[in-house]
Amino acid sequence: MAAQASGLPAWQGDRRDKLVLPIVWVVLSIIGCLLVTLVWGPHMPPGRASSTAASQSTDITVLATIATPVIIGVLLYFGWALAFWRQKPGDETDAAPLHGNVKVQATWIVATSAIVLSLAVYGTIELIAPAGAGAGQGPQPIFKNGIPPTTSATSWSPNSNNVLQVQVIGQQWAWTFRYPQFGGFETTQLALPVNQPVQFNVTSLDVIHSFWAYTLGVKADANPGVNNVAYTTPTTLGQFQVRCAELCGIWHGAMFDTGEVLTDSSFMAWTQTESVKLASVTKLLPPYALTYDPTNLNLGKVNAALGLTGAGGGFYNPADPEQP
Amino acid sequence: MSLAQLAQPLDALRRNEVDPVSLPARVATLVVAFLAVVAGVLWVVFDIIGPQPQTENYTAYAKDGQVNVTLMTTAQTTVTNRPDWVSYFIQNPSTKQFDHTTYFAVPANTTVNVTILGYDGCTPLRNPLWGQVSGTVGDVENVQYFNGKTLSAAQNLSTFDSWANCSVQHTFAIPGLGLNVPIASPTTLNENSNLCGTSPCNVDAADEAAPHTVVKFTFKTPSTPGAYRWQCFVPCGLGYVDGNGGPMGTPGYMMGQMEVQA
Repeated sequence: MAAQASGLPAWQGDRRDKLVLPIVWVVLSIIGCLLVTLVWGPHMPPGRASSTAASQSTDITVLATIATPVIIGVLLYFGWALAFWRQKPGDETDAAPLHGNVKVQATWIVATSAIVLSLAVYGTIELIAPAGAGAGQGPQPIFKNGIPPTTSATSWSPNSNNVLQVQVIGQQWAWTFRYPQFGGFETTQLALPVNQPVQFNVTSLDVIHSFWAYTLGVKADANPGVNNVAYTTPTTLGQFQVRCAELCGIWHGAMFDTGEVLTDSSFMAWTQTESVKLASVTKLLPPYALTYDPTNLNLGKVNAALGLTGAGGGFYNPADPEQP
Repeated sequence: MSLAQLAQPLDALRRNEVDPVSLPARVATLVVAFLAVVAGVLWVVFDIIGPQPQTENYTAYAKDGQVNVTLMTTAQTTVTNRPDWVSYFIQNPSTKQFDHTTYFAVPANTTVNVTILGYDGCTPLRNPLWGQVSGTVGDVENVQYFNGKTLSAAQNLSTFDSWANCSVQHTFAIPGLGLNVPIASPTTLNENSNLCGTSPCNVDAADEAAPHTVVKFTFKTPSTPGAYRWQCFVPCGLGYVDGNGGPMGTPGYMMGQMEVQA
C-alpha cells in the first residue's frame, strides 16, 4: 500500500521501503554514534574531575550512543512516511488493513528487551564500580567498591588505605565542613587531596539541603538528624563549585561555595593551618558525631535561667523520627 | 420535543452555522483571564515578597578610603506590624536616625568601619562555629559592655562561647566575603531582663540606660562592584520552624544586602 501510494510500481516501492530505508538508517546510525561517542562524548557533563564524575560522563555517553539509533530510526521513519507514503491529492481510497506480523512483533520485543535489560545490568555495574556513582547512599552505603575502610577515625595521611572523612553540614544559608581526622575542626572552606578517596558524611542542622559538588559528580541530600554518605576520588587539581540543590529558603540561590582540590602536601599544610587558626572555636564545637547535635553542649547558668534550653528557635532533635 | 428536534442545534454547531460564544465574549474572557494572571503575579511580588527595604547609601560619605557604618539590633520591632520580631536597624548617614532597613551601600575598595549597637539579649548559637570572628581586620572585634550604668573598657575579642556564657545575641555575616562577626550581648540575667523596650532604641534619651553592647570591627570591600547578602546565623525567628522563619527570612529584619558601588 505504501509503495502504491507513492505512485511507484509495487516492486520498486517494496525495494525502497524494505531495503533502502534500513540501509539509510544503518548508515545514519553509524555516523550518529561515532559523532556522539567521539565528538560529543568528551564534552559530556559533568566532566572528568573525579572518579565519579568521569564515570557519570561515560554513562551519559553510553546512554546517548545507544539512544542515537533509536532517535534516528524514529525521525527517519517519520520523514520517510511524510515523503513517500502521504496521500495524493484526490486519492480517497482507504489504507490497507493491518495484519499481525509475528516476525516484526518478535523482533521488536526481543530488541527492546535486550536493550532495556542490558542497560539495567550496565546501570547496576556502574553503581557498584564507582562506589555509588557519587550519590548519597544513606547512613549505611552498600556501594563501596574501591573505597578503603576507615582504619582510623582520628588521623589520616595520604595513601594510607584510610578513607578521608569530610562531614558536610548544611545550614540556612551556608555550607560548613568538618574534618574529624584532623582534630575535628570545622571550616567554611572545602579542600580535598587529589587522587585520594573521600567519604562525605552529609547532614543538616536545620532544614533539608542538598550538597551538590557538580564537577565532582557528587550529590547528596542533607537531612537534619540523618547521615547521608557519598564517595568520590578527585582526580584533577583546581577549584570546583558547591551548590545547594534543594530549595531551602529565601537565600537558597546564594548558598554556594568554592572548593579546591590540592596536592597531598598542600592539603596537609592546609589542614595544619586551619587546625591552628580554628583551635579556639574547635573546642567549643559539639563532640564529632555523624549527625549534628548542638544540644550535647553544656548550657551556662544565665542561658538556662533565661529559659534558653536549646539552640535559638529550637532544634531538630536526632531522637525524633527521621525526616524523609 | 422529539429527539430529532433536540439534535438540531447540535447539527447546526457541527456545520459551523452557529457560533457558541460571540467574539466580544471571547475577547472579554481572554482579557479578564490575562488581567487575573497579571494581578496574581503582582500580588505575589508586592504582598508576599514585599517591597525592598530602603538602602542607606554611605558611598558619598566615604573619605580617605574609609567609611563609617552604624547598625543597631533590637529585641523587637515596634515600628512595624511585627512588633515581636527581632531586627536590625541602620543609621541614616544624613539624618543620623536609625531606619528600619537592612540594605546599605558602600564604595568599592574601601575600609568599612562598622559599629553595631547591640540592644538584644543573648541566644546560644546553633552552630558554635559562628562564635569565631573571621574576615575582619585582625580577625577580631572590639567590644564594650554597657550594664545600664557604666560602659566597660574596650577589648578585642576573637571567639565567643555562646553556650557556656550569655555572650552572643546575633551575628553579622557576609558569607560571600568570609566575614562573620558574632554580636556580643549583655551578659547577666538582670541585664537581659531589662532590655530596651522600643525600637529603634533611643540612644540619646529614654533608653540610654538600657543594657547593650558596642561592637566595632573593620573590613575591606572588594575592588569590584556587586551585591553581597548578609545575614544572622543565630536562628532567632522564635515560633518558626527551626527558628529560621519570620525575621530570619524577611529582608529588613535579620538579613539584608550590602551593595558595593564603583
